[in-house]
Amino acid sequence: MSSNDMHMTLKSRKTFGGNSLKKDTISENITCYLLIATQIIGFLVLTIYPIIWTFRWAFYYYNLTPSDTVFTGLDNFIKIFTNEPMYWQAWKNTILFAVVKICLELPLALCIAVVLSKLKQVGNFFRALYFLPHIISVAIIGLIFSNMFDYFGIINGFLMKLGIVETNINWFENRGTAMAIVILCSLWNTFGMNVLYFSAAVANVPEELYESARLEGAGAVTMFFKITLPMIAPVLQTVLLLSIVGSLQTNDLILVLTNGAPAGGTFTVNSYLTHNFAPGFFTGEIMPNIGYGSSLSLISAVILGFIAFGYSKLSARLQNIY
Amino acid sequence: MKTKKRISNIITMIFLLAVALFALFPIIYTVVSSFKTNSELLSSPETFWPKEFTVDNYIQAWQSENFKVGMMLFYSIAYTGVYVFATIMTSSMAGYAFARGKFFLKKLWLALFSATMFIHIVGVGVYPTFEVLGKINLTSSIWSLMLVRVFSVNIVNIYITRSFIQQLPYSLDEAAKMDGLGFGGILFRIIIPLMKPTLATIGLLAFQASWNEYMLPTIFTINHPEQRTLIVGITALKSTGEAAASWNLMLAGTVIALVPVLIFYLFGNRYFISGLAAGAVKG
Repeated sequence: MSSNDMHMTLKSRKTFGGNSLKKDTISENITCYLLIATQIIGFLVLTIYPIIWTFRWAFYYYNLTPSDTVFTGLDNFIKIFTNEPMYWQAWKNTILFAVVKICLELPLALCIAVVLSKLKQVGNFFRALYFLPHIISVAIIGLIFSNMFDYFGIINGFLMKLGIVETNINWFENRGTAMAIVILCSLWNTFGMNVLYFSAAVANVPEELYESARLEGAGAVTMFFKITLPMIAPVLQTVLLLSIVGSLQTNDLILVLTNGAPAGGTFTVNSYLTHNFAPGFFTGEIMPNIGYGSSLSLISAVILGFIAFGYSKLSARLQNIY
Repeated sequence: MKTKKRISNIITMIFLLAVALFALFPIIYTVVSSFKTNSELLSSPETFWPKEFTVDNYIQAWQSENFKVGMMLFYSIAYTGVYVFATIMTSSMAGYAFARGKFFLKKLWLALFSATMFIHIVGVGVYPTFEVLGKINLTSSIWSLMLVRVFSVNIVNIYITRSFIQQLPYSLDEAAKMDGLGFGGILFRIIIPLMKPTLATIGLLAFQASWNEYMLPTIFTINHPEQRTLIVGITALKSTGEAAASWNLMLAGTVIALVPVLIFYLFGNRYFISGLAAGAVKG
């Protein structure tokens, strides 16, 4: 801002005296509230109200029919902790899925980002290419992978032709192979985004650090662990948080790809909840106990919150490693 | 030394191309398979390239009585159109209010809106929404989902527009005020025209999100199968009894759903990438 501008600003501020200033702020208040009105309404009606609603019905037997409604106190919660093995199985699946996926994906993405950082134009090309799977609908991705790994699908066809297997593999009948495909599919979907995040971080590491390290005779591996990794630690913390939250919340992909096959062995928590309680997803004619679904939803939200909060506390060190 | 470097370059290239093949194979496979005859899809799964190219799947998908691609395309476009327009409007207005406005409880509202990133009530969360819609005499349909979208909080987009507006010099607002523009006028006459690239980014992200959306459009169209969007319709085929015999339709439908996204990505990948990076940094 030039000094002339500054002068003008000061002068214009001075002219708003007394009443006119007050009138100005009132009208600005009104305008601002009009500008965010839709989102305030949406926040109250689509976020706050459902939370209160869920809290309330968590203590009821409720299937949307008023005459069937019964207040059950803590019964729903007691049942969750004593008699709901499928739900806790879903948590085990979710954790397994998240841990394996993240342990494979982040090192791969970081490795690609470091390699690409040394290539100028070609680097951008590959980054855009690797990002491509991320713009496709997750439901469609589930469909494509379930086609490829179908009993009569192209993967079995290839494996047979190459003589690697003798009979077709029923990928979705065994929990291990089904989970492996879910992980592969999800990794295919998101690794390109992590390549982008890491690329941006790696590009911000000052070149002088590498130059002085090179003068002191450091090799590529040493430089990666002693310079690159510590310098990108803050970004790594964020990327890890996004990956943890993202994989713990995996939902659509499971519903389309396996729908829990075999026998609930690949359900994540969210897909389990959706499959059992969401309209259009629960099977069977009778309405499920939405009250019970509400208490499951609450417990899940609390556990997820604890994991995210715990991770933030534990990983805070990564933010100021330098 | 030189040969060693050349060898390492070749290994790097092979690695990058292998990853590229991994990223592209499922997409190419889908496109190529959509041109196979249905009998070939069923009988010889091990061949990648079609023995004979046919566009029958597309014709069949277009004319089929129970898989109306034309209708699905219409609802996909309508839903995406409303979603993109609403997102651009509400997030530029809110971004401006939070960047430039001084109003009562401003910080609280921003904090509350930010919390929506972490609050998800899965499974049962749509019942209270249906209840609210019922209060204003609306039933679940793709149209009421559009209404829900108009009122949704787009916190990531608010952050994107807010940080853009914060970077603009204040002298701009002052000059406009001198010319007699009010607080709201400045947004529509000065800020929005300057914000076009940012709005293009938000629009592209909104396009991708709504075009690809699966969960809510499925839930909101259970009672109106004729209102299904492309993604919902294609995926619904999988859970029908004759799923195995419908792969040709699913593949053709998938390609129809993919093409617009791929075209937008081809021309606008810069916007996609910068938008996601911005969202992640703020998130």
